[in-house]
Amino acid sequence: MKTIDTKGLTCPRPLIMLKEGLQEAAEGEELRVITDNETSLKNMLNYLRDQGAETEVNSVGKVHTISTTRTHGTLSGEDPFLYCETSAVRNNYVVCVKSDKMGGGDPDLGKLLMEIFLDNLKLQEHLPTHVILYNAGVKLAMKDSQVCSSLSELEELGCRIMLCGTCIDHYGLQYEIGVGMISNMVTITETLAAAGHVVYP
Amino acid sequence: MKKTFDLLTTIEYGGCSAKLPAGLLSLVLKDLPVSLDPNLMVDVDTHDDAGVYRINETTALIFTTDFFPPICSDPFEFGEIAAVNALSDVYAMGGTPLLALNLMMFSQNHIPIEVFGEILRGGDARVREAGALTIGGHTIDDHPPKYGLAVIGTVHPDKLITNAGARPGDRLVLTKSIGTGALVSGQKNGLADRQHYRAALDQMKSLNKEGEKIAGKYQVKGMTDITGFGLAGHALKMARASKVSFRIHTGKLPLLPGAFAIFEKGSIPGASFRNQEFTGNAVHFTRGVNYTMKMLVHDAQTSGGLLMAVPADLAQQMVDELNGPGSVNGAAIIGEVLEESPRRLYFE
Repeated sequence: MKTIDTKGLTCPRPLIMLKEGLQEAAEGEELRVITDNETSLKNMLNYLRDQGAETEVNSVGKVHTISTTRTHGTLSGEDPFLYCETSAVRNNYVVCVKSDKMGGGDPDLGKLLMEIFLDNLKLQEHLPTHVILYNAGVKLAMKDSQVCSSLSELEELGCRIMLCGTCIDHYGLQYEIGVGMISNMVTITETLAAAGHVVYP
Repeated sequence: MKKTFDLLTTIEYGGCSAKLPAGLLSLVLKDLPVSLDPNLMVDVDTHDDAGVYRINETTALIFTTDFFPPICSDPFEFGEIAAVNALSDVYAMGGTPLLALNLMMFSQNHIPIEVFGEILRGGDARVREAGALTIGGHTIDDHPPKYGLAVIGTVHPDKLITNAGARPGDRLVLTKSIGTGALVSGQKNGLADRQHYRAALDQMKSLNKEGEKIAGKYQVKGMTDITGFGLAGHALKMARASKVSFRIHTGKLPLLPGAFAIFEKGSIPGASFRNQEFTGNAVHFTRGVNYTMKMLVHDAQTSGGLLMAVPADLAQQMVDELNGPGSVNGAAIIGEVLEESPRRLYFE
């Protein structure tokens, strides 16, 4: 059993140490994390719950000890920073692009609006974790698309641009892709389900 | 005398960290004339682990070599690790080692001659464990010392496993933990826990024999071993050769205990940076992957594990078997194979 003492430390440090400890623990190994910070306690419990780990908390005054076990392959690669907040609602978000146009109505206007939206998205201080493109939305990631460069810039900033593989096949665009990771509905579903919230332009 | 000479005092970079950068190597190799022969099954073209030549309907020869400067203090252990590392290329092609030659650079002006014998004895112990025979070798007077093997193995031409066989939908399985470069550098800088360093040595001494056997059983078609170019470098070569892309979950990577902490403290060997330069734009990390992890996936591995592309429905069963009784390594499903995308590797 390993004990991680995070007393006196504040987020994200305790989370980083917890994640490190989990990663280095053997499968089935018990782990104890000690904290004297209420926010860190809550964040670490959120994090562990998301990993599917069982937790138990023992509190003596202001000192809390979380006991948990490294379970089978449950550790996510997500940055502990994403869990560093006081509210229970996680603030990571996913942008989901269903079409190459923004809104109904005039298609030319729709295309222009989408262009402006993606241009502005990359300027946001708080960026999405993923931009998912499906159906006609995948056309935006093609080499000759007006917004290919905006999507590339978002990717450079660490956003995962996720393309629906079925949609690319359907439109026959296999050889035209300029940016993004070809994905599938299993991954897209998982990503949407795990998102703090989803933005549909 | 066995414990009196510390081999680590002779070198700056040890083990596979001493490799030339992958990009530089590619530049040199691309101007060499290519041999064309219908029986040549694997050549330098796909940057695979070994060359393969079909000699008849039922047998192909796997031919490979690997040698490097000391990775640890004890001569016998250095011999073992260098041999296991050289033999690994045969396993990575799905083959069985048959014959080995010792390659040694050693100067008795600098090191007691008994150390020479110990290195060879260590190497031979692992060659025997692999079921192969050492049938000679060659020594050059040089300092610091370098040791390794040239190995010939055999494989049925239909059972050959190359790095070009990964298919979209396959799961990626890694058979050993990563972080040997971190532990060795940590040991040199006094940052490695003794037990953690010991675990890294034990893993480096463990043959990929069992991993290869299980790969054959589960019809693995794409495989490589992880050595000096790090997980990212070798995964990149495999994804390129297979004309696919890989998605790798860093949270699922098996890490050697202590490796993360050593890198977090900044003790990161130059090889990680060289490997990162090589993978460059072909690799994408989401914002969620922190700097330490980025460097760990580029950590040069000495005698690392096998990276296999496995049919999705068999992957978990295979990992359970790899982690069965007697295994020292944390095998895990670390990702999946995607259709060829603009980048080769997507880490998250």
